[in-house]
Amino acid sequence: MEQVLVNGLYLGAQYALIALGLTLIFALMNVLNFAHGQMYVLGGFVTYTVYGQWHLPFPVALVASAVSLALIGALLEKFLFRPVIRRSKRDESTMLLAAAVAFLFDAIILLVFGEKGRGVPKILNGVLNTGTIVIPYDRILVAALAVVFIAGFMAFMQFSKPGRAMRALAQDRTAAQLMGVNVNRYSNFGFALGALLAGLVGGLLVAIVGVNSGIGGAISTKAFLMVMIGGAGVVGGAIAGGLVLGMLEAVGLTVLHAYGDITYLVIFASLMIFLAIRPNGLMGKPWG
Amino acid sequence: MAPILTVTNLTKKFSGLVAVNDVSFSLNQGEILAVIGPNGAGKSTLFKLISSFLRPTTGKVTFEGETISGRAPHAVARKGVVRTFQEATIFKALSVRDNVLVAHHLRSRAGLAGFFLGTTRARADEAEFARSTDDILGFLGLKDLADAEAGSLPQGHLRALGIAIGLATNPKVLLLDEPFAGMNHDETMRAVQLVKGVRDRGVTVMLVEHDMPAVMKISDRIVVLNFGQKIAEGTPSEIQRNQAVIDAYLGSEDESIGI
Amino acid sequence: MMSDRLQIIGYAVFAVVMLTVVPFFTVLAGRNDYLYTFTLIALLSIASAGVWITFAIGRINIGQSAYALVGGYVSAILVATYGVSFWLSIPLAGLFAACIAVVIGLPILRLRGVYFSMVTLVSTEVARLSALALPITKGAKGMVNLPMPGPIAIGGITLVPDFATLENPRIAFYYVAIILMLITFLLVWRLMRSRIGQLFVALQQNEDLAQSAGIDIARLRVIAYAISSFLGGVAGAVFSAVSQSVYPSSFTTQDSINFMLNCFLGGLGYVFGPIVGTFVLRFGWDLLFQAQRFQLLIYAAILIGLMLVLPNGLLSLIPSRKGAKR
Ligand SMILES: Nc1ncnc2c1ncn2[C@@H]1O[C@H](COP(=O)(O)OP(=O)(O)O)[C@@H](O)[C@H]1O
Ligand SMILES: [Mg+2]
Repeated sequence: MEQVLVNGLYLGAQYALIALGLTLIFALMNVLNFAHGQMYVLGGFVTYTVYGQWHLPFPVALVASAVSLALIGALLEKFLFRPVIRRSKRDESTMLLAAAVAFLFDAIILLVFGEKGRGVPKILNGVLNTGTIVIPYDRILVAALAVVFIAGFMAFMQFSKPGRAMRALAQDRTAAQLMGVNVNRYSNFGFALGALLAGLVGGLLVAIVGVNSGIGGAISTKAFLMVMIGGAGVVGGAIAGGLVLGMLEAVGLTVLHAYGDITYLVIFASLMIFLAIRPNGLMGKPWG
Repeated sequence: MAPILTVTNLTKKFSGLVAVNDVSFSLNQGEILAVIGPNGAGKSTLFKLISSFLRPTTGKVTFEGETISGRAPHAVARKGVVRTFQEATIFKALSVRDNVLVAHHLRSRAGLAGFFLGTTRARADEAEFARSTDDILGFLGLKDLADAEAGSLPQGHLRALGIAIGLATNPKVLLLDEPFAGMNHDETMRAVQLVKGVRDRGVTVMLVEHDMPAVMKISDRIVVLNFGQKIAEGTPSEIQRNQAVIDAYLGSEDESIGI
Repeated sequence: MMSDRLQIIGYAVFAVVMLTVVPFFTVLAGRNDYLYTFTLIALLSIASAGVWITFAIGRINIGQSAYALVGGYVSAILVATYGVSFWLSIPLAGLFAACIAVVIGLPILRLRGVYFSMVTLVSTEVARLSALALPITKGAKGMVNLPMPGPIAIGGITLVPDFATLENPRIAFYYVAIILMLITFLLVWRLMRSRIGQLFVALQQNEDLAQSAGIDIARLRVIAYAISSFLGGVAGAVFSAVSQSVYPSSFTTQDSINFMLNCFLGGLGYVFGPIVGTFVLRFGWDLLFQAQRFQLLIYAAILIGLMLVLPNGLLSLIPSRKGAKR
C-alpha cells in the first residue's frame, strides 16, 4: 500500500510539472498546446545528447533542455501563434495550428534522433529499502527536483514582476492591457516558460525511463487530462490533476493490473462523466 | 390596466451576495416601465430572472397568470417574454437580414424536417418571415443595411438590430437592457421614438437605462433599485421628487439623476 | 457572388468526373491502388463532413473516430455475426452511432471550447478501450475476414451484384464510396442552405442570444451532433467492408485530428471544404511518399504554411464574396 502511494507521488510530481506548463500556456493565450508532449520529448533528447553523448554533468544537460525549449517556445509564439491569433476569427485555428506543430516536431525528432528509444547512464545508484517501500535513489532525486521546480515556479508566479504580470494577463487580458501590462511580451514570456517546463521534465525523466521519439502524442493527451481534471488554466488545478492521475495510474498498475484494459476503460469513462458534470474540474474557475 | 407580468418577492443570491432582494412589482399591459438604479444595483440580474436565464433563489415571476420562472429560457421567449442584452448582442457573421430572419424561428409552423425538405408549409413560413423582416428593418431604419455583415455595423445601428431581433420574435413583453448605451444625444432621441413606436405596435416594454433625460421622457412608470432592493416606484415626476432616490444617487459617485 | 446554380453545376461536373473519367483512367492504367486511395478519401471526407457540421454549431469535435469505430463494429457484427445484409447495415450503423451521440451529446454539448474538445478526445479513447474489452468485438485481434457485400435484388432484377462474384471488387467499392460521398455532401449542402443551417450558424455565433430569441438550442445542438455522428458511423461501416476488417486501432485520435484538419484546410466556411481538404491532404501525403524520410516534415511544414497564408481555407481562394459560404 505504501509502495503504491510512493509510486503515485513520484509519478504525480512529474505529471504536475508537465501539466503546469500546459495550463500556463492555456491560461495566457487560450491555446490548447497539442505539441506539449513533443516539447517534452525534445527536452528529453537534448538532455540525452548533452549528458548521454557529450558526457557533460547532468545539471548542465537539464539547463540545456530548459533553455533550448524556452527558446523554441518563444519563437513559436512570436512567429506562428501570435499572427494566427491576430488574424483568425475562430478560436479553433490555434488548436489546429498546435496540432500541425506537433506533426512538425514529430517529424524533426524522427529525422534527427531516429525511432530507437534512448537511455542514459544512471545519475545515482542504489535503492532505498525500508521494508515496506522500495524506491531507487535516482527516482527520489528526480521527484525531489520536480517538487523543487514546482515550488520555484509558484514562487516565481507569486512574487516576481513577470509572474504578477502573467497572472494579471491570465485573469483578464483587456484589463491587464489597460493596467499597462505589455501583453505581447508576457504572452511570449509565458509561452516560453510553459515550453521550458515541458523540456525540463523531459530532461529529468530521461534519467529514469529514457526517451522515445513516438511518445509525444500520448504525453500530450495525458497532460490534457491532468489539466482538465484539475481545472484548465489554474495552477493549483494542474498540480492536483497531476497528482490525481499519478495516483490513479499507480493504483491501476498494481491493484487493478489483473483486469487489464478494463482498468483504463473505467478510468477514461469515469473521466468523461466527471468532465461532463464538472467541466471546470476540481478547482477551475467558472467558465462560458 | 391589468398587469401582464408580475414579479413577486424575487430574490437572487450569488454565493453570499444578494443581487436582487425581495423585489415585487408588476408590469401593466401596454406601458413602458423603466428600471433604474446605480451600477451593480441588480437591474441586469432582474432581467435575467424575468427572462428565466437565471433561476430565482426565492420568489417567482408570473406572466399572463402563469409562473414562468424556472422554465427554459427559450420556452419563456416562446410565451412572449423576450429580452435583449446589455452588451450589444447580435449574430456577428450573419447579414443584418439573416439576423432578423433567424430570430423569427419560434414563429414557424413547419418543423425542422419540413424546412429541410422545403414543404409548402415551410415555404409559406419563409415567405411570411421575409415579409415581416422587411417590415421590421424598415421600421428600425435598417433597410439600407440589410445585406451588410452585422458585425460591421456602428454602435447605434447595433442597438437597433438588437431591438429588431427582439421584435422578430413577436414578443408580448420586450425587456431592453440599456438600449441607449453608447449613443449620443441625437441618436438617443431617435431611439426613444423607436421604443415608443415599439410600444405602439402593441408590445409592452420594460427597460433598464442610465440616461435620465431619456428615461424621464420615455417611461410611464419607473422602478428604482438600490443594492438589490426596490426603493421606489412611481411616475417620472414622483420619482424625481422621491427623497430615498435622491439619497441613493447622491450616495454613489459616478451617477447622477440629472435633476 | 457564386450563385446556387453555379455551385450545383460545379458539383455536377465534379460528380460526373468522379463517376466516369477517374475510374476509366485508373482502370485503364491498371492502378487499383489509386482506386483504393480514392475510396478511402471518399469515406474520410464523409466522416470529415460530420466534423464540419459540429464546427458549424461552434464545437470542436476531436471524437469522430469514436463514431467511425462504432459504425465499423456495428456493421461488422451485423454482417458477420448476424448475417444481416451489408447494405442494411450501413444505415443501421449510422443510426446506432447517432443514438449514442444523443445520449452522450445531451450532457456534453453544454460544454464549449476546449472543454467540449477534451471530452470528445477522451471519447475516442473510450471507444478504443471498449472495443478491446468487449467480448462481442473480439478484442485486440479485431474482426477479420468479413464477408463481401451481398447482392441487392428487387423483384428478381439484380441491382447490385454480389461483390464476391466480381472480378474487381475494388472498383465496386470505389463506386459505393463515391456515390455515398456525393449524396452526403448534397444533403449537407441542402441542410446548410435551409433554415436549419441558418440556425446552426446562429448557435455558433451566440447561443445566449439564440436562446433568448426562443430557439431551443439544446435540441438543435443534439441534432447537429447526431447528424455528425451518423456520418461518422456510415463512413466506419463502409470502411470495415472495404478493408474486410475492423480493429480497435482502425480509427485513432490521430484520425480524429486529421478529420478536423481536413475541414480546416478546405475551409470551415464552405460546405464542400471537407472534400477539398481531404483530397488535398490525403493526396499530398501520398505524393510526398517520394520524399521518403522527409514526408512528415514537408507535410507538416506545408500545413503550417497554409494556415498562415490561408487562414480561411483553400476554398477562400475562389474569388466569390459570399458564394459557396454556408
Ligand atoms: N453571475 C454572477 N455571479 C456573481 N455575482 C454576480 C453575477 N451577476 C451579477 N453579479 C453581481 O450582482 C450584482 C448586481 O449586478 P447587475 O445585475 O449586473 O447590476 P446592474 O445591471 O444593476 O449594474 C453586482 O454586484 C454583480 O457583481
Ligand atoms: Mg447591468
